[in-house]
Amino acid sequence: MGLLEGRNLTKYFGALAAVNSVDFSVEKGEILGMIGPNGAGKSTLFNVIMGVYKPDRGEVVLKGKTVSGLKPHKICRMGIAKTSQIVQPFAQMSVLENVLVGGLYGRNLSFTNATREAEEILELVDLGGLKEMASGSITVPHRRRLELARAIATGADIILLDENMAGLNPTEIEEVLKLLRKIRNQGKTLIVVEHIMRVVMGISDRIIVLNYGEKIAEGTPSEVANDEKVIQAYLGEKVCFV
Amino acid sequence: MVVILITVGLLIVPFGGFSEYFIRLLAMIFLWIGKTGCWNILSGFTGYIDFGAVGYYGVGSYVTALLMSKGHAPFLLSILVSGLVSALIALPVGLPTLRLRGAYFGIATLAFAEGMKQIILEFDKTAGVNFFEGPHGITLPIGPKNEFFYYIGFGIMIIVIGIAYWIRRSKFGYALRAIHEAEHAAELSGVDTLRTKVKAYMISAFFLGLIGGVEAYWLTYITPHMVFDLLITIQMVVMSLLGGIGTVFGPVVGASFLTIVYELLHRDFPYTYTIIVGFIIVVVVLLMPKGIMGTLQTKRVIQKTRPVQ
Repeated sequence: MGLLEGRNLTKYFGALAAVNSVDFSVEKGEILGMIGPNGAGKSTLFNVIMGVYKPDRGEVVLKGKTVSGLKPHKICRMGIAKTSQIVQPFAQMSVLENVLVGGLYGRNLSFTNATREAEEILELVDLGGLKEMASGSITVPHRRRLELARAIATGADIILLDENMAGLNPTEIEEVLKLLRKIRNQGKTLIVVEHIMRVVMGISDRIIVLNYGEKIAEGTPSEVANDEKVIQAYLGEKVCFV
Repeated sequence: MVVILITVGLLIVPFGGFSEYFIRLLAMIFLWIGKTGCWNILSGFTGYIDFGAVGYYGVGSYVTALLMSKGHAPFLLSILVSGLVSALIALPVGLPTLRLRGAYFGIATLAFAEGMKQIILEFDKTAGVNFFEGPHGITLPIGPKNEFFYYIGFGIMIIVIGIAYWIRRSKFGYALRAIHEAEHAAELSGVDTLRTKVKAYMISAFFLGLIGGVEAYWLTYITPHMVFDLLITIQMVVMSLLGGIGTVFGPVVGASFLTIVYELLHRDFPYTYTIIVGFIIVVVVLLMPKGIMGTLQTKRVIQKTRPVQ
């Protein structure tokens, strides 16, 4: 049994099944990639896992316990954190304070402990020098690292990264990848949604491909890349005009 | 240090042989600081603009008025019950309304305050009893002198500011500020956002009820139109904005400033003072959009963070 499992997850928006009977499972310490064309249901699936949406069918099981139906803050305290596609720093609060909120509430730490942890985490993500800055005034690449730092600070075992690298240049991406590997080596489990193929292919141990809310393929990066259905989903069907 | 000096100074003012008017004015300022401070605890810290704050003030006024005039209860007990009743009403009101965002929350709370007023206005006629006395209002026993309310007001003000000061530095305050900045992200970081907001709302309602009770006793006569007056809420909003919304001492500065300006102008320009006050508010808001305290704070922050870049 995996650390986190989705069983037959289904979420409708009206008549549209944004996520349709998706099963998945992640092991501890794994990096699971999740890809699929726009509107495939990746972000919705994340939101279902996180408790933002309640699944219409199926359940999310964390460490053997069903967590679907709980509110996001409860799920966060049980060990899942998520970084958002659109960065949402607590803009008027300093970088350190942003991370502090994660420790104070995600792990229920005292101020002294949360501050110490937050400072360590900021060193880890290389934001130590900016800790006094208002988080609204730092650059987008830094904000993305901050989101990651806040997620780590909640003490979550599993971190969901929703396009954490969107808008970064290749050098910055390389740095984030290094960072993600470092975090994984500390025993965290990562689920990564990303549009940049090179990123997902390079970092994931295993990849799940979604299309129109359904899981169409699963396997190692090379298996997935050569899968007929996946190629179809991305490039369209092969049509013979002769 | 300055704060302690001012506090001690204010404590001995009633013995300084000042005029009755001056004592009354200061007591009024204290109570406005209290009300604005209450409003600031929810709306200032979380950004949920409460347009129904006067509802809790009015409920508090009525509870004290009823307890003292019909139940012959002592004053301190009455205002305490006022606070508790207000806080208890805030729970069922807050649970659904604090799920709303922005203007929808404002409208819902406005409707709540207006609804409370109508209930008290029409209850007796509808139920065929003589309880709230409808629009005729309730007369309370004649209270002690202004000095008494001076000290009560002073005490409440200190408590409200103290609570705001404590919240600002506490774990709870971090949650409120996180909600203000990015509520969804706060929830994802483990903050029970609804519970946090309801808690702040109930604290705010408790002290508004308390202050309502005090003012009812001071005025000795209340009607629904007086104590559920929308202008009271608006004044709390304006004072918070002037002083600096979401800051600990903003309400102190805003409420003192506006009350004094009102008094000074009211004396010299009895017919046109509202126009002048309006003008002053516009100028202050244009020049200092974050309020007086907010502007000072921002200056400090800018100076502090400059060397890093």
